[in-house]
This record gives sequence, C-alpha cells and structure tokens, in this order.
Amino acid sequence: MKILIVDDEKPARERLRDLLRECGEAHELLEASNGLDAVRLAEQELPDVALLDIRMPVMDGLEAARHMSLLARPPAVLFTTAYDEHALKAFETNAVDYLLKPIRLERLKTGLARAQVLQRARLAELQNATAVRTHISALIQGRLQLIPVREIRCFKADQKYVTVYWPGREALIEDSLKRIEEEFEGLFLRVHRNALVAVAHIESLEKGEDGNYRISLRDMPEKLAVSRRHGRAVRQKLKELSGR
Amino acid sequence: MNTSDEAGSFLPDFCGARTVFVVVLLAELIAITLTLAQLPRQHVLVALAMYSLFTQWVALSCIAILCIFRRHLNTLPNYKVGVISYLITLLTTLVITELAWWVQNQWVLKDYFGHGHGRFTLRIMGISAIAWALALRYFYVQFQLRQQILAEAESRFQALQARIRPHFLFNSMNTITSLIRRAPDAAEEVVEDLADLFRVSLQDRRGGVELREELALCRRYLRIEELRLSERLEVDWRMDDLPDGVLLPSLILQPLLENAIYHGIEQLPSGGRVSVHSEVLPDRLRIHIENPLPEASAGAGRGGNRLAQDNVAQRLTAFFGQPGLLSAERENSRYHVTVTIPFNDENTDRR
Repeated sequence: MKILIVDDEKPARERLRDLLRECGEAHELLEASNGLDAVRLAEQELPDVALLDIRMPVMDGLEAARHMSLLARPPAVLFTTAYDEHALKAFETNAVDYLLKPIRLERLKTGLARAQVLQRARLAELQNATAVRTHISALIQGRLQLIPVREIRCFKADQKYVTVYWPGREALIEDSLKRIEEEFEGLFLRVHRNALVAVAHIESLEKGEDGNYRISLRDMPEKLAVSRRHGRAVRQKLKELSGR
Repeated sequence: MNTSDEAGSFLPDFCGARTVFVVVLLAELIAITLTLAQLPRQHVLVALAMYSLFTQWVALSCIAILCIFRRHLNTLPNYKVGVISYLITLLTTLVITELAWWVQNQWVLKDYFGHGHGRFTLRIMGISAIAWALALRYFYVQFQLRQQILAEAESRFQALQARIRPHFLFNSMNTITSLIRRAPDAAEEVVEDLADLFRVSLQDRRGGVELREELALCRRYLRIEELRLSERLEVDWRMDDLPDGVLLPSLILQPLLENAIYHGIEQLPSGGRVSVHSEVLPDRLRIHIENPLPEASAGAGRGGNRLAQDNVAQRLTAFFGQPGLLSAERENSRYHVTVTIPFNDENTDRR
C-alpha cells in the first residue's frame, strides 16, 4: 500500500513511520507536513491511504481531506489527533474512524483495514463542525486547483453552477452561494441574488445613469450589478469599512 | 443550608424549616432575656410564657411576610433588600404590637405590658428594632461567609483551569513514544521535565513562587516543545541579573509561553522565534514574551480564545492587589505580552 503520512510534528511522523514498518507489509511511505502540501502530494502520487493529523498550520487535516475527495482517485482517509474535542465530537456523530495519538500498533492495523474513502458531503459536515476553509478547490481540466480564499474576488451563480473568480482566472465549484456565505461569514458580501463579493477587495461603488449601483473589485475589469434589494446593506457595509 | 437559592440577596429562605427554626430560637432567646431582665410580678414561668407568646407571634408573622415578599426582594441590590426587609419587620412588629394592646385591653392581660399605650408601643418597637437589626446583620454575615467559600472554591477551580492544556499533555506523550526508540536520552529528559511541570501544576502554592523557579519551569516547558516542534521552534532567552526573592503566583509565565506556541509557532509552517526577555526597573521588573503570528486567518472562527491570558491577568491582580499587570498587543504579525512584577520589601518578604 502507498501511505501518505501528514503531520506537522517531525517526531509524530517518525513514530508513524516506525509503526507502519512494524505492520508487517512493505508499505510505500510518503510524508507531508501540512494539509496544503498533502493535497498536492496526493494528486501527484495517488496514495491509497492518507493518515491526516487534524491540527496543522496552513491547512488542517479536515480541509485537506475535503480537497482530496475531489481527486479522480481519492485516498482513504484516517484522521489522527492527540487531543481535539471539537473534531472528536464531529467524528463520533458522523461515524468517522480516527486514531488517537500516541497510536497503538493494533489500532493502526485495524484502522488501515477499515479506512474508507470519505464522501465529500460527509467531509463538508465534519468541516462545518470545526473550522473555516482556507482554500476552495475546483477541478480544471482534470487538475485539482486550490484557490486561496483570500485571493478570491467574487462568486457568481448561474442557473445551477457557481463560478469563483480570482485574478485572471475563474472556475466552477460545487458549493452553493448560501453555503459559502454562511461558512465565510463576514468575508463575503451579498450584492445580488446571484453574487457574493470579497469585502477585502471592494474598490468602489458607483451609481450608474439608470440609478442602479455597480460595484468594482480590485483586479477585476468587470463591474458587478448591485440589486436594489441588497443596495442598502452594501452601502451600510462600505460605510462601516471606511469608518474604521 | 439550602444552597440552591443563592442567586440574589443575602436573605435566607424564610419559607424553609431551617431559617424558621433559627428565627424562633432567636425570638425565644429574646423572651428569656426579657424575663431575666426584670423581676416579674408573676411567677417566672408565667412571665416567660407571656413574653414567648408575644415574641414568637412577632417573629413568625415577620417570617411569613418575608417569605411572601422574598421573591420580589431577591431582584434588588443588597442594601435595598436590607432597608426594605428591616422596614417590613418593623411595620409587622408595629401591627402586632397594636393588636396585642387591643387584645390585652379586651382580656386578662391588663397591666401586664405596663401602663400607657404610647410607652408600651415605644418599648416594644425599641426592643424589636435592635433585635431585627441584629438578626438581619446575622443573616448578612452568614451570607457573606457563604459567598466567600463559594468564591474560594471558584478561584481554586480557576487556578486549576489555568494549568497545563490537555493538548500539550497528549502531544508530549506522543513525542515521548517517538523518542523512546530514536533518542532514548531525550525521551528520558522529556519525561523528567513533564513530571516537574505537572508536579508544580498540581501543587497548591498560594504564597507564590520565586521568579527563578518559574523561569526554570518555563525552560523545561520550552525544551519539551523544542523536541516536539523540532527546528520550527527557536527560543531567544535573554535574562538580566534578576533580583533575589521576587515572588509571583505559580504558573504565570508558562501559560503565556504555551499561548505563544499554540497560537503562534504551531500555526506557522516554518515556525519562528519566541523571545523571552527581562527588563529590571527600580521597583518592578518586566518579562516580555514575543511570538510571530500567522497572517490574519481567512476565517473568523480560527482565532484562539483568551481564556488562559485572562486567567493569568486575574491571578496577577489577585496576588499583587493591583490591576493592569498584564498587557498584550498585536503588532502586524507579532504578538507581544508583558508581565509586570512589582517587587519591594513587602513582596520579597512574603510567603
């Protein structure tokens, strides 16, 4: 089996290496020290199992698992944690297997045997119980693209698809606008029934000749229409921001 | 005592059997005192019976009325409760006194309570004013005592809360399991350091600890974390010549270092430097702890809670009797905490 070990602590990775060697079978082992590197490595190396620590810098294990689930051949995921009440509660309610550190050899063996490819929807549930994502993932021509949330300019919904825009690029994603609005509360502002803009990247708000407001975003040539319904809230928010 | 009704005022539960018993007992003591205070014209026991009848009547009526009004009284501040309940008892006593006067004029009690309506009322009101003042004072002191016990229990609990995070314990255990094979000597050291840390955190050291001890403990803590985080953690430790015998509450600096690592270093992929340095002033010294922070995280929910830091501030205030000894500021991507430790003869001689 090809196993990807992901943990930000070197001794923790070494411990897993030692244990996996003792498991008997000759596993091929890969290592990453944070979630973002892990997702990239998983895409290149297509491991069978990913052992994911939960609390890591840059991107945590739950989020990494969620992005990995978009891969054509996603790895089975086994979470590891020393202590994380919130995550454990979420695992228990969603019947997701996890390993507690220090990990016992026996437990690791049964864990590997039972490890399953987690469904994206289920991972989203876990994610909601813990933290906010740092990246949004999308497949572009079969390649997994991780878009840093802070780079994103806006989301636009069109019929049943949502498109995410960031400088010079755009991609279709699976999340709904409502879900994004809830997850990243305060970061994105609803300007129209079908559009969310990044508060941090708002450049200006102009009133057009037809009396409708249009909002322009940094590094985005196209201006977005602000609907009458959301106009007041948008102006209010901008006033708050400039007041600071 | 019924402890479930601690919410509002200092008044005990007047509807409860225990309080009724206490009041009846106090009333009876007054009756006995009155009997002893004057040479009765009748037999002593008859006099006691009459005084008891009267005092118990007043006492029980007052309890009944306080029992009814207690719910309303409980929402008021303590001084208002005191004034109002005092007025209620006096008013009740007055009504009973008037009734008693009326009854004695109707029946056999003539001349028993003395002559003249006005004098009779004044005497009774004077006695009951003193008696009720003492009784209310008694309830108030008892209430304060209870509050104090609760507060002490609370602060002990808080002190325990300030102690080492479970997160750190389990991570250290994991580090140890890894080191046992690869670096047994280092594993041994971690176990020793961990034992020291937990020994201190389990001790009750209200008198405070020497700054030197606390600093030594911090070094042990940092040594464990350096092993766990490997090259990600760099410690810049600069201490001046520190004066002898400076006391501070136990585990004040360690939780701040733990914060620096938990919220700072652990959140950075390539880690960073935690700097700890001292600044000695004539009457106080300062310990500065500084750590890098990740860029303002994308999500709002990611920031840690300030529980540990607030707790440290509270314990410093309680120990030194002055606020504002802990200050913290975020400057771009660095977090800076300063602990001020006053020292003078009083501090250094304490314990």
